[in-house]
Amino acid sequence: MRLVNRVLAAVLSLALLAAAVLLIATVVADRTSHHQGIVHWRAAYHWARTTTWDAGSIRVICGILILAGLVLLIVELKPARVSRLAADPTEAGADAIDTAYTRRGLAAAIRSAVTAVDGVRSTSVKVKRRTVKIAATASAQDRTAARSLRDPITDAVRQRLSALKLRRTLSVSVRVAPRSR
Amino acid sequence: MHADRTNRTLLIVLALLLLAVSLDAGAASIGVYGTGTEHSTLMDNPTGRYFGAEGVWLWPVIAVAALIIGLLALRWLIALLFSTDRAGDLLIQPSTGAGRTILANRALTDAVVGEIEGYRGVDSARARLIGDPDDPELVVRAVLEETADFTALRQRIETEALTHARQALGNMSLPAQLDLTITDRRATRVS
Repeated sequence: MRLVNRVLAAVLSLALLAAAVLLIATVVADRTSHHQGIVHWRAAYHWARTTTWDAGSIRVICGILILAGLVLLIVELKPARVSRLAADPTEAGADAIDTAYTRRGLAAAIRSAVTAVDGVRSTSVKVKRRTVKIAATASAQDRTAARSLRDPITDAVRQRLSALKLRRTLSVSVRVAPRSR
Repeated sequence: MHADRTNRTLLIVLALLLLAVSLDAGAASIGVYGTGTEHSTLMDNPTGRYFGAEGVWLWPVIAVAALIIGLLALRWLIALLFSTDRAGDLLIQPSTGAGRTILANRALTDAVVGEIEGYRGVDSARARLIGDPDDPELVVRAVLEETADFTALRQRIETEALTHARQALGNMSLPAQLDLTITDRRATRVS
């Protein structure tokens, strides 16, 4: 998100800069030589004097701008995805240290714990602010055998989370599917 | 830092401006302000007439405002492209009052990284000092091997490496951020 914002900010600042330069150049050209300069503002002025508010082009432009404004506002106000999960401060070795596990690191730790369970073929792990979601695929094609892995996987994840000693206890959700072929 | 907070604030302002202008124009377009407005031209309103009547002095004023906005946009762009949150070299306060000692930023972070990477169970580490050189913050990222004792390693980094960094700076309350990540890559270390 930060990267997207930086790109958008660079585009916006460049657009503002270009618009300011064009406007100043146009005003100076008009006042000094009564020429239009780079921007043919007389054509735009004529268009504004002959176009009514109920014109289709105005409605289309308004619709596009409303949509763009809404999308930008929602994107900017949406809470950022958690990138680090705080470690338990009571286990800290020194004061004033903000220690946390990265979301990706946590997912890797959990993934390795799950794949170590006998009978698990592959797994995907999603770590959110309060939950960990595990979708595992069993080596067996039998649905009952796959279902029997749910408890060992949950135990392995809980054990790994307990070893990490996070500040907040994460809830664990496990889904196990049999191998497709 | 790359002006992240400024970026977000200004993008929110832009979104609100887009919404306000387009909703207002859209309302005029569908006749919310009356059929007179709906069928009138874009320039046929008090603002358009004011610009027509006062253009002699109004446009130069707008050009000056554009100059200010353009300069601010240029400053924003420079901050986006060239700013860094890294602290410069640090001045160590002498206990005797004579002379001065400067600690190179890189010397401290390299020492912290070297120490952490020496711990068994650590795959790799990175460190940087950010913020004002008079009030810096140490940010450390350590990649732990999945077989490591995470809590023991965390405590070791905090009590040894980070404490040593604080001692070197003569600031035992130096703010520090420790980001731990875990790799499931197989360890290559033999010792």
